[in-house]
Amino acid sequence: PGPPMAAPPSPWLQRVASFSRSPSRFLSRASADVFLAELLRGLRDERAAESTQVLLLSLLQEYPTLLCPFSSAGEETCTALMAIYAQVPHKAVNFKCHLMLAITNVFICTSSATGEGEVKVAERVLDLLIQTVQDTNDHKDSITCRPLRALACDCLREMEACYPGLLSQKLEALYFLKQQETSTLHQAYALLYTVALKNAVHLLSRQKAIAEGDLKNLLSGNEGFVWKVMEKPLPPFPLSSTEQIPVLQTSAETRELKSVVSLLLEESYLLTAVSQSALLRELIQVVVMVQALSPALFKSQLLRLFGTMEISLLHSTLLMKGTFTDSLFTTEDENFLLKRLVGMAQHPLLSSAHKLFCMDCILHFPENRPISCNGEESLPVLVTPRLAASLLPTVFNDSGTMLRRLRLLSLVYLEADEDEVEKGVGYLFDHLMALWKIVDNYGTREVTATFFRAAYTFLYYFYPNEKFTSDLTKSLCELYSRQSQLAPNMINLIDRTQENLPESGWPIRLLQALQTQIVELPLSQMTTQSLCWHLKVLGRVAKESQVSQKTTVRFLLNLLASSGLCGSGDWRMGNAVLAVCRHLLRHPGLDQVFIELSDLLQFTMHHYEDMDIQDHARFYYTLLTNLSREKLSGVLDKGPEGGQAKVRSLSSLMAESEELSSCLTIHPTRGPVLHLLKHQLNGVASELQNSRSEHSGVEDYLKTYRDQFLSPGFSSDIVLKFHLTFAGEVEALYHKLFCICLHFELTDSNYEEVTDIDVPCLLKDRKPPVVSLTLTPRQPYPMVLRASAIFSTEDGLSWRTQLADVPVAFPDVFLPLPVPVSWSLEARGRLFDQLWRAMSSRESSQSAISLFCFQVGEKPLSDIVQSHFHRYLVSAQSSQEHYKVLLFLPPKFHILFDIKNAEDAARVNIATDSWNLLPYINSYLKSITDLDSVTVPSPEA
Amino acid sequence: MSIRALWVISHEKGECGTVSFSRRYPTVERRARGLAGRRYVPIPEDSDLLRPLLTELGVTDPEKPFVTSRDDCARPQRSPALEVHLEGQDGGTLWPLLAITQGELILACLPLVEVPLEPQPPLPSLPSVSQGLSLLAGLQTFICGAGGRVEGDLLASRLALLPAVLLQTCPLGTPLDTLQLGLPPAPSPAPAGPQKQPAWKPGVHRGRAVVNVALSEQVRSMQYGSRTKQDLWDVFGTVTCKCELEGVLPNVTVTLCLPPNGSPLQDVLVHPCVTSLDSSVLTANSIDDSDGSSFSGPYKFPFSPPLEPFRLCSYTSQVPVPPILGSYQLKEEESQLKLTVSLKLHESVRNSFEYCEAHLPFFNRGPLNIVDVRVSAGQLEVSREKSLLVWVLGQKFPKSLEATLGGTVAFSGQSPGPVDPLCTGLTAYIKLYFRVPDLTLSGCSVDQHSVQVYSSAKPRITTCECQHTKSTNAHKSLTVRTHMKKCTH
Repeated sequence: PGPPMAAPPSPWLQRVASFSRSPSRFLSRASADVFLAELLRGLRDERAAESTQVLLLSLLQEYPTLLCPFSSAGEETCTALMAIYAQVPHKAVNFKCHLMLAITNVFICTSSATGEGEVKVAERVLDLLIQTVQDTNDHKDSITCRPLRALACDCLREMEACYPGLLSQKLEALYFLKQQETSTLHQAYALLYTVALKNAVHLLSRQKAIAEGDLKNLLSGNEGFVWKVMEKPLPPFPLSSTEQIPVLQTSAETRELKSVVSLLLEESYLLTAVSQSALLRELIQVVVMVQALSPALFKSQLLRLFGTMEISLLHSTLLMKGTFTDSLFTTEDENFLLKRLVGMAQHPLLSSAHKLFCMDCILHFPENRPISCNGEESLPVLVTPRLAASLLPTVFNDSGTMLRRLRLLSLVYLEADEDEVEKGVGYLFDHLMALWKIVDNYGTREVTATFFRAAYTFLYYFYPNEKFTSDLTKSLCELYSRQSQLAPNMINLIDRTQENLPESGWPIRLLQALQTQIVELPLSQMTTQSLCWHLKVLGRVAKESQVSQKTTVRFLLNLLASSGLCGSGDWRMGNAVLAVCRHLLRHPGLDQVFIELSDLLQFTMHHYEDMDIQDHARFYYTLLTNLSREKLSGVLDKGPEGGQAKVRSLSSLMAESEELSSCLTIHPTRGPVLHLLKHQLNGVASELQNSRSEHSGVEDYLKTYRDQFLSPGFSSDIVLKFHLTFAGEVEALYHKLFCICLHFELTDSNYEEVTDIDVPCLLKDRKPPVVSLTLTPRQPYPMVLRASAIFSTEDGLSWRTQLADVPVAFPDVFLPLPVPVSWSLEARGRLFDQLWRAMSSRESSQSAISLFCFQVGEKPLSDIVQSHFHRYLVSAQSSQEHYKVLLFLPPKFHILFDIKNAEDAARVNIATDSWNLLPYINSYLKSITDLDSVTVPSPEA
Repeated sequence: MSIRALWVISHEKGECGTVSFSRRYPTVERRARGLAGRRYVPIPEDSDLLRPLLTELGVTDPEKPFVTSRDDCARPQRSPALEVHLEGQDGGTLWPLLAITQGELILACLPLVEVPLEPQPPLPSLPSVSQGLSLLAGLQTFICGAGGRVEGDLLASRLALLPAVLLQTCPLGTPLDTLQLGLPPAPSPAPAGPQKQPAWKPGVHRGRAVVNVALSEQVRSMQYGSRTKQDLWDVFGTVTCKCELEGVLPNVTVTLCLPPNGSPLQDVLVHPCVTSLDSSVLTANSIDDSDGSSFSGPYKFPFSPPLEPFRLCSYTSQVPVPPILGSYQLKEEESQLKLTVSLKLHESVRNSFEYCEAHLPFFNRGPLNIVDVRVSAGQLEVSREKSLLVWVLGQKFPKSLEATLGGTVAFSGQSPGPVDPLCTGLTAYIKLYFRVPDLTLSGCSVDQHSVQVYSSAKPRITTCECQHTKSTNAHKSLTVRTHMKKCTH
């Protein structure tokens, strides 16, 4: 029996749902071990419906590591589940299946199988599984138990997958089971056997010397489990071509192995398609390792596989092709397979995901004689434009398919002969224009995004082709003239092409064309919205040193002078204009527009009906007219190092721009930068101080004590001290941090909100500052605080970083008895007794009494008490090993320990005025006594 | 060959979406952690996965016309294996997250990568990927059936069954079978003899032996009526079987025959229950017509049938002419459109339809107002709000095998009506749906004599053939800038 429960558990359905929705949030409110205990209790509850119990097990199946964070918890849970399993009636097959699945998941995920106890549990788990699978053809149990047997096979297979080689000495037994079974379950046995066989061969191949009969012995092995693989797992099988595949160096007879593999292949037809492909893959690896086996073994299956509509079987065939190349596949086969892939990539009856995958397979086709094998996409030699013609994109494709086809066809035409190129690229361009037309007709957002992606793909492959690119420029300009809201898409296309195709002059040409188009627009036709986009584009144009800016400046001047913009005093528009000016100031061709630009700025500062804009314009004007070119760009350019601080200092004077906004925004840090390290209390040896002072007249200590709580805020806070340090080695950028503001967020409602903490600075080589975190509990439970910090670095940038969660442990909430220092020890002792009486008399329904016993180990009891409770001791009779400990937990709770050393064990009598604390007390005492122990709730509790 | 987790996400347009079902496989996750080492990215909680996944699928922030993270033109298109960039402090990238979208549902799973993640390995080198795709396809069948749209209670009830189904088909993250519609059948006793029961056939049929073979062909055609643009048509056929035969592994052979000068069946894909295939059956394909290896049947498919109905094989065929030729002309005269449509049935096609109707939609013009249209055969139905004319030709073309439609329509341009970015100006199409029973266009046939069953009892064999057809005739009386077709089902 565990500690008394809190309120009856809310309906499980809801709790399980809330756990699955966000396990971390759920566990921040309830501790994992308490919840786990509740789960197990729910499972043991015979009155619970099976559906509820299955629901509870689903959590253990999916989140074993969260529920059992330590291997000891996993071990205990496994044992508990197996005990339940043993007691469940035979016919509850479904529940047993779920139990078995939970046991396997908990075991594999939490066990390291290194400790003695763990091996014992492992043995029991494996025993359970092996026992279950041994009943082939339902001899012992009825057919209704078959799902359990099927599951046990899969559990063993997963065990073998997680601990490769575990079953490597049991191959004969497994083979026998596989042969015996004639129901549909033979698949499960075949898969289990094959995985075990592959791992056994792999294990053998890593041995240095292999004796004559080793392989034979392997197949006829029927011994125990190979425990050592749990400690030192077999490295994964090297699948990629770059790694050396282990080869079994043996000239020994492989007849037995060959017949085993042949039989498995022969019977593979009886397996479901996905299992067939799994089986084939294991067998491929076996044949690769044992070179005495010929790949021709697979030949009999190939024709069946060649025609398959099943994607996983097709994939297995391709893996086979990649592994065995021309030792199994002729050039004709290769040709055939490739054509088939192309055919399937556009087959009307296959789903689009399958078709896309086939296209991937074409681009990574395992050729017998590959030209390059760097794992990058490349076109097989056999894919000619004629072959690929069926994959030409059309506007009716979904966008994913269309873009993939476009890319594949682009690769095809890159390699093709000249006349084919002309035609093919022409087609692709026509296709692009068809998309363009849809966008031009106000197609959906998705089509628009697809068009720009298609344009980017086209440019990526064919940017040197002047004819098409200039047509594209024209079309884009035409599009822009009708839909200026596409400016962000256009700029994005320009940016990306410029980044990824630096040798292409196309982005500049498009920008020039757009500039020309915009500056020639009649002002009367411009709406505020379109003007906004135009200014955005002109701003982008002004970044290009190769583009003359004369027309831009004239356009802006004309705009301000002739439109109502200045009179409207629109701050945003004014800023947009100034943003262009700012780029112009940095333009290398500034000299050519010097006069016009200064006119423009002067005009703005005199006529724009907004003070802020005027000021900005005046500042730019001053910069322009007073500074030399070098100084100007020095002021405006973002320097490589420390430049931001300077810009920041000018920020209030400057227009919004990307560099500037980067200074004014708070950046997220890439990794953790700060860390809060718990301040170890300098063991202030607070010996039991017997205060001398008299305080006669105080008889009812309890009342006096309780009266204190009438004054609001009395002793309601706990203070935790931390060192604020760097989180390990951080980038040099973060070596000097200033104005650090630590912000804490609660993860539950048991505490009052925590106020922010300001730390002036944190420097790399200085002593870390100590921060005090004041917490005001509503309920004194352990919890976790989310911590984040905002700080600035030397270059003036602001950063936001997340800190590791700050745990508030149960003992952190303990405070010494809040009584005046003047109280004597005796008075405290009296208070202790009075409190104890009050709690045990059940004056409140909240109070409880409990008992905790533990074996006193090597560490004497006095040491345990001294090291954990010295601050809270009320009386200590070391000679008789009798201690009284009074823990105060703000705002108004107490835990009283009466610790005695009895003959065989230490007994801790517990009294508290909040029985909700009992689980925490229990686990705390357990943790400090560090030994197996039991809590016995006393009858009154 | 396993998957780490599985999700079913409901996502309505414009909404942020909810995870309706998720399943994690912690033992596979343990393997993933071991295999990926430093590059390991743990699976986030459902709520943390949702937004990055939807961004990758391009469906977040529908009200914003351009968001770089979603619309960046250089972002590689990886569908169906997405690269999902997680937000938050730990960040990281989940790859390859397989996702397929069906209506408002997104089905996703994360296959285990068993090779080093750096550099990113090519998708086809990961065996788990095709397993994941099969799993998702099965999941799609299980949740949506053949229909497609599933919502509300039906969706909830199917999802409620999912844990029980996964317990059998994928208990520990390694798929053992593909999901099918409905619950897996109860197990049946092991067969008495030495023959093992196929894993894909959980029981044995008892009772009368019946074999049903149905052959159906579909034609998709696009006719542009333009000298510069070639008309297209493709024919694809499927053979579906339902066999109720006694025995653990009964043998059946279905033979497909072509008429003497029929064009060969191409791109033949067969069900995994087909035991062996002659290589000549597989040689012809639609993408490469150069090797006129004159094999034209008979096409033999030996197999042992599963219990449920299944698609034995599918093929494509190239027939010389489309079954119906059409032309569609539009002229804009003042405020109205003048239409002329003519349809001609090819003489080789039997003039006996189950149904035949032509749809003439009008876009970007507002609802239909005045309709003054005559037809030479059949009736005309007008749907004014949808701006759609439906010409029901019925069961037969007239003796002349030609039918015409002519007249004028006008629109009331007040309310918007249907819109389409492709069909602007005089770009328009007419779409034809029809079905001819007992006929295949390729001439491919299957009859009672072509089904051989090696079984103790004599089975009843039924065969049937039919042709579903859809064909689109597009016309534009001005310049044709783009090809036209609408896909239909």
